[in-house]
Order: sequence, then C-alpha cells, then structure tokens
Amino acid sequence: MPTALRSKSFIALALLPALLLFIVFVIVPVFWSAYYGLFEWKGFGATKFVGLGNYREILQDHIFWRALRNNLILVASAIVGQIPIALLLALVLLKNTFFTRIIRSAVFMPMVLSTVVVGLIWGYIYHPQFGLVNTVLEAVGLGSWTRPWLSDIHVNMLAITIPINWSNIGPYMVIFIAALQNISPEIDDAAKMDGAHKWKKLLHVTLPMIWSTVVVTLVLCISGSLKAFDHVMVMTHGGPAQSTELLATYMYNNTFRVYRYGYGSAVSTIIMIISALLIGINYILTRKKAD
Amino acid sequence: MKSIRKMSLLLLIMTFILAACGDSGSTNKAEEGTTTKKDEKVKLTVWHNFAGDDLRAKAVRGLIEKFQADNPNVELDAQAIPPDGYRQRLSTVAAGNELPDLFFVYAGSHSAELYKAGLLQPITEVVDQNPEWKGKFLPGAFDPFTFEPGQVYTAPIGMSATSILYYNTTLFDKYKVKVPTTWDEMMTAIKVFNENKITPIALGNKAPWVAQSTIIGALGDRVTGTEWFKNAAAQKGAKFTDPEFVKVLNYFKELSDKKAFQDGANSIDNTQAEQYFIQGNAAMMVSGAWTLTNLAASASEDQMKNIDVTVLPSIPGGKGEANTITGGAGGGLALSKRTEGAAKEAALKLIYAVSGPEAQKAIAESNSMVMYDTDIDKAKVTSLYYKAFNLVKKTTITPVYDAYLSAEAAEVVNNGLQEIMTGGSPESVAKKLQDAQARSVTP
Repeated sequence: MPTALRSKSFIALALLPALLLFIVFVIVPVFWSAYYGLFEWKGFGATKFVGLGNYREILQDHIFWRALRNNLILVASAIVGQIPIALLLALVLLKNTFFTRIIRSAVFMPMVLSTVVVGLIWGYIYHPQFGLVNTVLEAVGLGSWTRPWLSDIHVNMLAITIPINWSNIGPYMVIFIAALQNISPEIDDAAKMDGAHKWKKLLHVTLPMIWSTVVVTLVLCISGSLKAFDHVMVMTHGGPAQSTELLATYMYNNTFRVYRYGYGSAVSTIIMIISALLIGINYILTRKKAD
Repeated sequence: MKSIRKMSLLLLIMTFILAACGDSGSTNKAEEGTTTKKDEKVKLTVWHNFAGDDLRAKAVRGLIEKFQADNPNVELDAQAIPPDGYRQRLSTVAAGNELPDLFFVYAGSHSAELYKAGLLQPITEVVDQNPEWKGKFLPGAFDPFTFEPGQVYTAPIGMSATSILYYNTTLFDKYKVKVPTTWDEMMTAIKVFNENKITPIALGNKAPWVAQSTIIGALGDRVTGTEWFKNAAAQKGAKFTDPEFVKVLNYFKELSDKKAFQDGANSIDNTQAEQYFIQGNAAMMVSGAWTLTNLAASASEDQMKNIDVTVLPSIPGGKGEANTITGGAGGGLALSKRTEGAAKEAALKLIYAVSGPEAQKAIAESNSMVMYDTDIDKAKVTSLYYKAFNLVKKTTITPVYDAYLSAEAAEVVNNGLQEIMTGGSPESVAKKLQDAQARSVTP
C-alpha cells in the first residue's frame, strides 16, 4: 500500500471536494426544499407563508396515498422480483465461461440503455393495437386476454413493474456475482465435506456469507423504487386518471404542471422522510436476522 | 510511491480548476445577459420555443435571422428552447429576476401570471405606430394580452385552433356514412364504423390535455354557450357543478361508452394517434391545427388528399352556436420590465419583425394558423392545410378550456376526462373541477 493512501489527512483532503459538492448540492437543498414547503409559491412572484398547510393538504389528498401505494407495489415487486432473480442468475452464471459471459451481458444490457429508451420500447410492446404482447396473445389463441395494458387501470401498475424490474436486475446480478466470488473456496469445500448439498449449502453457507451484500441490495432496491420516476413518466405520465401516479411523478406534476412549487417541495420532503423510514425499518429487520 | 501521491494531488488540483472554470463560465453569461449602454452595439437577448424542425419553427427562426441581418447594430443573442422545458426554464430565470429582454409567452394564465408578478411592460407603442397592421388582426387577437385597458403586452405570432374534425373521405364513402353535422348523425357514424371494425375517432390522450383541448371545449361551448363558461371560469354566477356542465361531461361519456375511441386511447400519444388516423385505421380525429403541421411533415400528399376537415356536430337544444372552433391567439414575444433605452427600441422592432404583416404571411405559409387576415399562396401549402385555413376563416372562435382555467383546475379536468373514460362519474369530476377553480379564483 502506498503511504499516500494511508495518511488520514490526505484521505480527508481528497474527500473534501466530493464532500463539499455533496453538501452544497444534496444536503443543503434537502433543508431548503423543506423550508419552501412552508410556502404557497408559483415559481415566481409573491410567496405566501402557509405554515404546515401544504403538508396537511398532502396527507389529506387521496392521490398522494395512491402514489404511495403504487410506490410500495414497486418496492414489493423489486424485493420479490429483482433480488431473488438476480441472485439466481448470479448463482447460475458464476462460472466464467464464454456462454455465461454472453448471458451476463444480455442481462446487464437494459441497464446500459437509457430509461427513456426502455420506456419507449415497452410502450410499444404494450401498444393496445400493434403491441407485441397483444399480438402474441392473439396468435396463441388467448385473444380474450388482450387488453390495453397501460391504460387499463386494473393492470397497468403491474404492467409497469415488469420493465422496471427487467431493467434493474443487471446491476444486482453483478453485485451478487462479486460477492459470491469473494467466498473463499475453503468454505465451499468444508461445506461439501460436512455433507451440505445444494439448497442446504445455499441457505446455511452461501446466503449468510453474502448477507451484508443482500442488505445493501435491499437498501438500493427500496431507495431506487421510491425514487422511480422516468419509466413511468415515459410510459404513462402517471395516468390515466393518475392511476399510475408515483410519489415522484406526483411531486413533478404538482411542481411543474400545476406550478405549485411550495406544494411540490413539501411532497419531496415527505418522500425523503418515507424513504428514511423504510430504510430504517429494513435496517432493523435485517440486523435481527443477521444475529 | 511518491509518484502516486503526486498524481493524486495533480488530479485534485485539476478537479478544482475544472470547478473554477465552470463557475467563471456562468458569471460571464450573466454579464452578457444584461445590456450595457457603453457599447455601441445594442445587446438584445431573446428566448423563444421555436426550436423544432417543423416548418413553423423554421419560419420564425428565419424571421429572427432576417432581423439580425437587417440590423447589424444589434447584437442579438437568440435562444431556441424546446417547448417541453420552456416554461420551466423561463420560470427559473423569472424567479431569479434574470429574464431576457424578450421572451415568448403563452396566451392565458402563463402571460397573466408574469404580468401579475410585475415582470412585463406594455408594447402598445409599436402597435399604435402601425394602425393598418393592428387593424388586420382577427377579432379577439389582443384580448389575452390586454391586462389593463388600452395597453397590450404582446402581438400574437400564431393562432391555436384546437377542435377541427378531420375525417377520412374514403372511409366515409366506402361505408356510405354521412359526415356528421348533428349529434345523432355522429352516433350513427360511430355505430356503423364500429360494426365494420374501423375505429370511429382516433384519440391519443396519454398526455391528458388532448381530450380536454380538442373535444371538451367545443362540446362545452355547444351545450352551455360561451357566456356561461366565462362566468364559470370567473366563478361569477355559474359553477361547474351546474347541470349544463354535467351534461357536457355526459356527452363525452357517451362517446367513450359507445366506443368512439380506439382501445387504450389513454396510453398512446397524440402523434401516434395521428399516424393511426392517417393510415386509414380510424375514420375521424378531433385535433388541433398542430396536426396540420405534423402531417405536413410526416404524411404523403396522397394520404392527405383523402382527408377533409369540418367542425364538430351541433348538439340538440344547446345554447351555443354550432359553427365554432375552439382556439384563440397564440403566444407572442413579451418585453421584460427591465429593458430600457436602445435595447427596448430594438426589441420593439424585433416584435414587429416576427409578428408584422410579412411575418404573418410567412408563418401562415408554413402550414400554421395565424390570428391575422392574410392571403396565402395555395401552391406553398399542403392541400389539407388550405382546406383548414379556409374553414377556420369562416368559423367563430370560442375559448379553449385550459386557457381560462387555472393550471390546477386544468389538470383536474384533464385527469377527470381520463377518469370518465375509465368508468368515473361525470358528477364527481364536475365537483372536483368546481372545487379547484373556486380555490384558485378566491385565494
């Protein structure tokens, strides 16, 4: 190890620019936005102090609760969809052969695509008239199952979770592969000698060994799902009739379409609080399991 | 070891330098923004949203370039900002009191808010200096920009006509359907086309303003009359919960219930619906003049010659006139309150350059409607546009809902129409709209 990287003062110095940027562009705006949330403001012109009025209005708006519910659907679908599938793929594709490398890149592929592209592609897949899904259903004789996937308010939230999960599995898989490769082969051998086979080994050896990684991916999953915005914005704009509204699109629409900057700021503050709560709960739950 | 430390330090220093560069760049720009009087050249900044590749945007940009060429003493900094982000960007600089000298404003609540915030100054002098120009604007052209008696704040560059009924003559002939002029005929047409597996009306309502802007304003005016709507918008003696407005929403519900629109109309956008229509999958489409511009760019003359235009059908017992189209003056360039002296003179000249008689003709000939009495050369425009241009000349213009409603109320009615299409009740939508508009009128 070079001494330069060990000296604490140098580490502090090197972190300083990033830390400063982080404080100025992330920490300060969080408090700023909480403060703006106390005002009725159109973006320009006069501001009117309304105290906690915006926050009260948000909690009474049933669209907000619907948005929160939709976000929780996303969180749930991410936890039951992305993490197990990513883990499964990681276990299958752990070996470094030509074939697995191709599959790995294929799984990672959607992550490289911009989310707008993903949204547009899936918008066409779900297209009510010419979409792939409906055409395939029609072709295999399941014509009665066809529906406008993104505008039928009973299924559209579920339809949206699929592209989001599809495009997010890649990075989790890579994280899991890295974690799995870090398990030393001796432990593997020891488990084998003690007679632990596939499932037992996975449950009692592999999972505990990568548990900290699982916790990290859970946190990433939760925060990612609460921040979700772009896919939905491209595919449905949060509609029809606000049925796919997420917290972030709710905030965006109130700020930039209705021009209520104060209200939007209050919403984003509430999103912050909800994220912190969920991640806190996750932390407590997973810590108990680890003990 | 030493070299790593040196390199890391170097990297660190470079980061700081980069950061410093970024900073100085932005202060330079801010300095450019304000006009300095000492310079011999007059500096003028202008922001507009004619950024696209369509003919109209090109025509307006051409007018601005021509102004630049004709006025070498003006140092023009013109920024074309794509329409999607335009209002946000303008709001941001307005909040920082850093508005450009001239900027494009929309008719309706957008310009009204800027006026109320005290950010605009009138341009009445340039209009009064050219009375023959002023006189040829169509009735009501200056209404949205007359915030106080006798003062106008911009001259409209275009005109919006939002509820033209486009129909495919081939399909109407093939199934022997009469082009609907009454509501009953409309219902018959919808029935016949549905029986023949043709979508009666193409609608792309993913961005939810479409149904509101193209259909509900025109339906509403036919049922309630213009007077009622203006009163309801001002919340004076009329409410959106009144039975006549619920009736309007019920007419819309009837369209949706009778399957007038294709499946999933709420998940495809307006451009996709235009393509669906022009390819002969749908018999009709209710859309604005923007469809003319879009089709001029994307459809062939062969496809377009089968399309004709008319107004929406009349409604039995309605209080409003039938031969009307919703629309109004388009936006124009507004003058910042802070612009003075030579810069102001140049700014007024530029306003004339982009909305004067020649400009209006040039814009009209780019397949785009204008709020100005001008003659166009038939050879320069598409056949479909020529038909629409003459249709609009003969009709009366009635208000588009979202130009009069507050942004919040407009959002409520937009979402409300989607709600009705997915099974919501007209009464509850009417109530929500009434609440939202009442809230914004009486703060």
